[in-house]
Amino acid sequence: MTQKHLILIILFVIVLVAIAAFFIPGSTHKAGIAPPATVYNRSADNTSIEKPCSNDHPEWRPAQVIEGVTIDAAPSCEPDNPYDIATSVKGTNNVSMATLMQTNLAQDALTMTDDLDKDGDPDVIRIKLEVVELNGASPDGEFLINTFAIAPGIQPGLWVYAPKSRGMAVKNFNSVVANPLLRAPSPVIRVEQGDKVYITLENSHYLPHTIHLHGVDHPWLTAKGEDNDGMEEHAVYPGKSHTYEIQPRHAGTMLYHCHVQTAQHLMMGLSGMFIVEENQPNNWLQTFNIGAGQVRHPSVAVKKTYSQEYDLHYQSVDKKLAQIIQNANDPRLIAQKMTRDYNMTESFENYFMLNGHSFPFTLRDAMITADENENIKLHIANLQRSSIALHTHGHKATVIALDGVDQPAGMQITRDVFDIAPAQRTDVLLQTKNDGLHSYGPGLWMFHDHVPTGTTTDGMEPGGNIAILAYKSYLDEQGMPKMHDELFDQVFNKDYYAKKQAVWGVGDFAPLLGDAGLIAPNYLQIIIFGLVTGLIIGLLVFLVLVYNRKQKQ
Amino acid sequence: MKAFIISLLMLGIIESASAMNHGGMLMDEKGMIMNANSDNLPRDCTKISENVDITIRAGQKHALKFTGKMFAFDQQEWNVKPCAKINITFINDDQIRHQLMIHGLPGYLYPEGMFHLELNGEGQLQASLIMPSQKKTYLVHCEVPQHMEKGMKAQIKVDGGDGDLPSIPGISQPVKADVYPVDWTRLTTAVLLLCVLAGCAIPFFFIINAQVIKSMIQKMLAKLNLLPKH
Repeated sequence: MTQKHLILIILFVIVLVAIAAFFIPGSTHKAGIAPPATVYNRSADNTSIEKPCSNDHPEWRPAQVIEGVTIDAAPSCEPDNPYDIATSVKGTNNVSMATLMQTNLAQDALTMTDDLDKDGDPDVIRIKLEVVELNGASPDGEFLINTFAIAPGIQPGLWVYAPKSRGMAVKNFNSVVANPLLRAPSPVIRVEQGDKVYITLENSHYLPHTIHLHGVDHPWLTAKGEDNDGMEEHAVYPGKSHTYEIQPRHAGTMLYHCHVQTAQHLMMGLSGMFIVEENQPNNWLQTFNIGAGQVRHPSVAVKKTYSQEYDLHYQSVDKKLAQIIQNANDPRLIAQKMTRDYNMTESFENYFMLNGHSFPFTLRDAMITADENENIKLHIANLQRSSIALHTHGHKATVIALDGVDQPAGMQITRDVFDIAPAQRTDVLLQTKNDGLHSYGPGLWMFHDHVPTGTTTDGMEPGGNIAILAYKSYLDEQGMPKMHDELFDQVFNKDYYAKKQAVWGVGDFAPLLGDAGLIAPNYLQIIIFGLVTGLIIGLLVFLVLVYNRKQKQ
Repeated sequence: MKAFIISLLMLGIIESASAMNHGGMLMDEKGMIMNANSDNLPRDCTKISENVDITIRAGQKHALKFTGKMFAFDQQEWNVKPCAKINITFINDDQIRHQLMIHGLPGYLYPEGMFHLELNGEGQLQASLIMPSQKKTYLVHCEVPQHMEKGMKAQIKVDGGDGDLPSIPGISQPVKADVYPVDWTRLTTAVLLLCVLAGCAIPFFFIINAQVIKSMIQKMLAKLNLLPKH
């Protein structure tokens, strides 16, 4: 073979490379006249769809009397356990064993004694709280334990204060689901003005924590001269307990939260509402409102003015923070990842919850249910990282107290967006008087944070803290909103929040708004590219062989 | 200890009918005992083989002897004979709630297969149970959230047991292990580089000593009578 031939072959290879470059197949492709067909990714397979309402305890919904405690009706799908309520009103020391056995409370969870002011209700209140991890890791396999789903398929790692419990922390033997007492948010705690309250933190968790009584009248030291402000430097370590003492002189909606590594621990869920009620005769309070929401045994003062009372606890979660406790078991690794590797100044909020749930789970237990012409008291606490702008559809409500201090009559503003900064509380009077101002009439009126992130679950809408103010005529017998069946099929589905489904993938518009399918590969292009590339490789090998042979000669 | 005996109530809580012929629960502000059994023999036992008295302490301080744990029992394993009666003294050294649950027991004696002691805080409880004759390993743990996961896990082996349960501190590996960074020092790097150099030298060693190696192999094969005769 001559020099000339070699040069020709090399030139030919260069031309081939240019041709190959022209025919490189891509991962995307421009469509021709007919773009790809629509794919229907909401198939007949509905194993990932769950029932909107499991209707486990219809008997808990009606108004009833347990242990002499009147408990208001709660029409929602998942009403609070009335035995929890009766025990929260009377104390674990004043109810029968039969009632206590219907709860998961420990026998020393709530002791109520001594009517100090002789007005017919107990005034020495001893509350015991544990710190519980939900959706935590296990060294025994790839599963989470003590699970609590905030939305279909969404189980972020959470910490909560829980009333001291007893027995199994899971629902039953074959389950990893947390028992109903162990849930987000941390329970709302109600005490009476002037009560001697002892709040014992029994730190059952593997990291140090405290209780800081934010806005609640408390001396800086206990009677014994110990810490009473729950600050970082007086952390309660694992296995230890500490009792905080208060005798609050001022009534109002306050908070309690952990003040150890506060930014992270608060965002993990160690925060709750602490409500001091006016001192009134025969004022037996519902000390724990587990899961927040409707107060089924309101105080004497509230009952005088209002037909109903609700606690609304807004909270947000950064999924990166929440994952830390799910990705390791060694407490040292968790401590390092949470306190030093994680950077709150570079954090995001991915999940937004009202009373521990994101939409659509908020429809089960975080709805406000009303008739016309009611005066409803709402205690709203913002325990998110960011501000909320709470908007009520179809209603304008009136601010009656800010941060636990009553607003003077002239400053009780009526509006439909309430801006609440982190840790602030706003008490609101919601009137369902159909007068075109306070209410536009019966309906299923949404209420939600109007900050755009707040209505999403990791960016998927509808999610976040969306809930409904439902007029009872629009609820079915299981307390679920009527006329929402199609939406339920869509959102009570973990595939929806896993972003596997087209939002408008069913119905008349599915062919138009479902997912566009994949475009067919251009085989002519692939064949040409393949052949040319092969030819280039072959020629190169040939040249190398020729070169070698020449060298040997 | 002012205990309320509420065995009647138990019938309402525990659905299995077998709960009716046994059981009971003692509970007060200090803690509770569920499904203690000091009299009824398992079906496969004709008599109690031995009486074993064991003290089990639970607390955060017992985790100090392990790395990467927070709660533990003072011991992680007990061995008993088939049909042994175990008299347990359960001591809680912490100011929080701890449990001692034993799982996998016969349901006709222990409703839901469980023996359960619980202490609301510092203190102690005593209760007995009788093990069946089967060769088996039983899980002992505290089920307060994250206590078992963070170390409060142990096992009782009857007749030597049928293996170890996973993630028992000091005894068995976890199923899902944590990942730690390697202690990678200059020495580690030096060892690695040295090995790379040695690896490079291996072919040269064989080429240089080809004759020697060949004769060695031939000798060896001859000794084994594997060499073809010419």
